[in-house]
Amino acid sequence: MDLQAQQGLMTTYREAWRSRGATAWVASALLVGFYCALYWTDWFEGPAAAIGLKNKWYLYGFLYCVFMVGGAVYYLRQHGNSRYNQLRIAVNVAVQVLLGFTLPFVMPMLGQPEFYFSYFWPLKYDYLFPDTLHSLPLYLSLYTILGTFVLAPVASLLWGKRWYCSWVCGCGALANTFGDPWRHLTSPSTKAWRFEKVAVHSVLLLAFFLLAVAIGGQMLNDKSEAFVQFSYSVKSWYGFAIGSVLAGVVGTGLYPVLGPRVWCRNFCPMAAMLGVLQKAGRFRIRVKPDMCISCGNCTTYCEMGIDVRSYAQSNQSFTRASCVGCGMCAHVCPRGVLRLENTWEQADDKVRQGLGAVDF
Amino acid sequence: MHIVIVGNGVAGTEAALEVRRRAPDARITVVSEETDHFFSRTALMYVAIGQMAHKDIEPLERDVYERMKLQRVRARATGVDLDKRKLLLAGGKEPLAYDKLLLCCGSRPRPAPWEGSGDLLGVGHLVTMQDLHWFTRELWGSEGHDQPERPWAHLDASTDDSPYRRRKTAAEVRGRPAEKACVVGGGLIGIESIEVMAAKGVKPTFLIREEAFWPIALDGTEAAWIAEELRHHGVDVRLQESITAVHGDDSGCITSVDTDKGSIDTDLLMVAIGVMPQTGWLEDSGLELEERSRGIVVDERLQTSDPHVWAAGDCAAVRWFNGWVRPEQLWYTGRDQGRVAAASLLGSEARYARGTWYNSAKLMDIEYTTVGLVNMGVDGEENWFHQEQGRVRSTTRLVHKDGVLIGFNALGRRWDHSILARWIEEKRSLAWVKANLNHARFDTEFVPPLQLPA
Repeated sequence: MDLQAQQGLMTTYREAWRSRGATAWVASALLVGFYCALYWTDWFEGPAAAIGLKNKWYLYGFLYCVFMVGGAVYYLRQHGNSRYNQLRIAVNVAVQVLLGFTLPFVMPMLGQPEFYFSYFWPLKYDYLFPDTLHSLPLYLSLYTILGTFVLAPVASLLWGKRWYCSWVCGCGALANTFGDPWRHLTSPSTKAWRFEKVAVHSVLLLAFFLLAVAIGGQMLNDKSEAFVQFSYSVKSWYGFAIGSVLAGVVGTGLYPVLGPRVWCRNFCPMAAMLGVLQKAGRFRIRVKPDMCISCGNCTTYCEMGIDVRSYAQSNQSFTRASCVGCGMCAHVCPRGVLRLENTWEQADDKVRQGLGAVDF
Repeated sequence: MHIVIVGNGVAGTEAALEVRRRAPDARITVVSEETDHFFSRTALMYVAIGQMAHKDIEPLERDVYERMKLQRVRARATGVDLDKRKLLLAGGKEPLAYDKLLLCCGSRPRPAPWEGSGDLLGVGHLVTMQDLHWFTRELWGSEGHDQPERPWAHLDASTDDSPYRRRKTAAEVRGRPAEKACVVGGGLIGIESIEVMAAKGVKPTFLIREEAFWPIALDGTEAAWIAEELRHHGVDVRLQESITAVHGDDSGCITSVDTDKGSIDTDLLMVAIGVMPQTGWLEDSGLELEERSRGIVVDERLQTSDPHVWAAGDCAAVRWFNGWVRPEQLWYTGRDQGRVAAASLLGSEARYARGTWYNSAKLMDIEYTTVGLVNMGVDGEENWFHQEQGRVRSTTRLVHKDGVLIGFNALGRRWDHSILARWIEEKRSLAWVKANLNHARFDTEFVPPLQLPA
C-alpha cells in the first residue's frame, strides 16, 4: 500500500553509527583513508586489473554502484512507502549504473571516448575546456555545451535544481542512498548557513575563473609561455583542492559525522549555479497555513541544513537556493504541512497570512 | 514597563517575541520551571524513540534570550498578588513585581484516578519534559541522546513538591526496562506513546473506555481502520474496557492492572486521559476561573478578570467558534493566542476569534484531517462516505446539511484544510464539493487523484 508519510518511527539517535558514536568515526576514517589511497596511490590498480577492469577509476565506478545499490535498499526499506521516493531512487540507481558506469565502460570498446552523460560543467570542470571540446566528437561537444547552457538552466527553471541534484547527479545519488542514514547530521545552524553561502558561491566563482584561465591558456598557446604554465597550475590546483579533497575526501569521507551533503551544500559549483536558477524558477515548497506543530522533523531530516520548520511555522511557502528537492521534509512531516510543487502561481496571500484567527 | 510572562511554551514564547517586536525597549521577564529553552511539546514522542535529539525539538536557537533581551527566571510561580501586582515564586524567591502579567502556564496531565496509583513507580504521562525523561528511562533504561548541557540545572531552585522534579523509574528499581506496557486513554497522546513503544518493540495493551477509538473525531468505519492498523503493529486493542485498580509490589513498582474484564500484568502504565489547565496555583488569587475546566476566563482581547493580567494558550478559557467557553488545547491556537495577548497587553486593538474549526493528526501511519462540524450531532446533518481500497487507501467523509457542506473528515490522504474551510464558509453544495474535491488535495507528487463514484 502506498502511503505518503513516514512509516513507523526511526530510532536514529539510538544507533551509535548514525549519531557520531565511535563506529561513525571509524567509518569516516576508513572512507577518508579510502579516498586518499584512491587519489594519491596506485594500490587499487592491481585489484582493478585482477577483475578485468582497465584502471582504478573503473573499479571506483563499480564500487560506487555497489554502495549506491546497497544504500538504495536501505533507503527504500525505511522510506520506500512513498511513490516520490520510489521513483527518485530508481532513477538515481539507473542513471548511475547506465550513464555513470556502463556507458563510459562500453564506449571506448566501440572506439568512442569515455564520456559521462550525467555530468556537466561546472561539476565536470573540464567539459568546457577548449582542448576537451576539441578532442570530443562533434555530437558530444554539442551535448556538453547544450547540457550546460540549455538543458540545465531550462530544467532548473521548470522543476528546480532537484531534477539534477537529487534525480540525476551521481554525487547526489550516493548521498541519498549510501549517505542517507546520516542525513540528520547536517547542521541547521545559522552559522553553518553563513558558511555555506560564502563557500559554495566562492567555488562557483573559482570554476568560472578556471574556465577563463583555460580558455586564455588556449588563446595564448603560442604567445605567452608564462600564462600557459599558469593555466596548467590553476587546473591542477583546482583538480586537487576542489575535485579530490573537497568532493571526495571531505565530501564523501565525512558522511558519517557531518552528513551526506557536505560537498553538495558547501562546495559544489553546479549546485550553486542551479540554486540561483531555482530561485528564479517554478519550484517551491508550499506550506499549508496554520497546521505546523513545530516538531522539527523537517529541519532535523533536511540533508541541506535548511531550517524548514522556521518557514512552516510562519506559514511561508518558500524556495531556498540550496534545496535539492529530496522531498524528505514532506515525507517526515506528521501533519502533512509541506508539499514540493512546480508552479508559476503565487501562493494566495490570504492563505499565506493564515486563516484569520489573528485579527490585529 | 515590566512585562512578566509565566511559561515559556509556545504561547509564552510567541508572546515574548511579539512584545519585543512591538516594544523594543520593554523589560520582559519569562518565568519557567520546566525547561530553560522553548521546545515543541508535540515532538516529545520523537525524542523518546530517538528519531530526534533534544536540541532538534527546540524551534529557536538557544541565544534567543540574549538576542531578544528576554530575562529568564528559573522558578515556579505559586500565586499572584493582584493588588500589589506581584508574582509569587516557590522556594523562598523574591516575588516579581510586574506592570502587566501574561499567564501562559499551559496544561497538566489529568492524574491517574485509581487509588494509590499516583505513588507507584512505572505510572506516568507524556506531557512535560520531565515526563519525557521518565518515559525514556522506563522504556530504554537510559536517557535519550544529546541531552542539553546540565539538563537539570534549571531545577536547582525547585522544591520537593514541584510537578517538575526528576522522577524515579520502575526500570531502575526492577533493574531492566519495561517489557510489558498498558496505555489508557483513547486520544492522541495515547496513540503517540504506543507508536514509541511499538518502535522500541514493546507491544502494549491499549485500553479504551469507549466502544471505538476516538469517538469524538471518528466514526465507526474510520475508527475500525485505526484499530486494525494498531493490531497490525501488534497492539492489543481492548475496547469498552476500563481500569478498576492498579497493583504494585513491595518495592513500589507497578505489577498489574485490574479492568472490568480481567487482570493484565504490566511494567508500565501510560496514563493519557487528557490534560487540564494548570491553574491550581491561581485558585485563591481572585482571578476568575471557568467553572468546569478551571481555565482562566478571558475576553476576546485575552484579558482576564484583572485589568493587569492576560492569559493565553492551554490555560485560558477562550470563546470557541460555536460559543463554548473553554480551553482550546492546540499548538497553533496557543501560538496565535500568544501573539494576540502580546499585542493586546501593549494596548493594541487585537482580538482573538477562531474561524472554522480544523485539525490534523497522524494515527500510527495514517494521516488524518478534519475541518468544520464533524461528529457534532448537528440537527439534520447527513454523512456522505467514500472508502478507497487500492494502492492508496483512504476514507473521505463529507458532512452536509440540506445539501450544503458543513464538515469534512478524512484518513489516508493529505488535504489542504484552508481550501476546505473556505468551501464550508462559502456554503458550497455537496455536489459541487464532490466535483471539485481533488482541488483541495495536498498529496505529494505522483500520488494519483481520488476517484469518486459518480
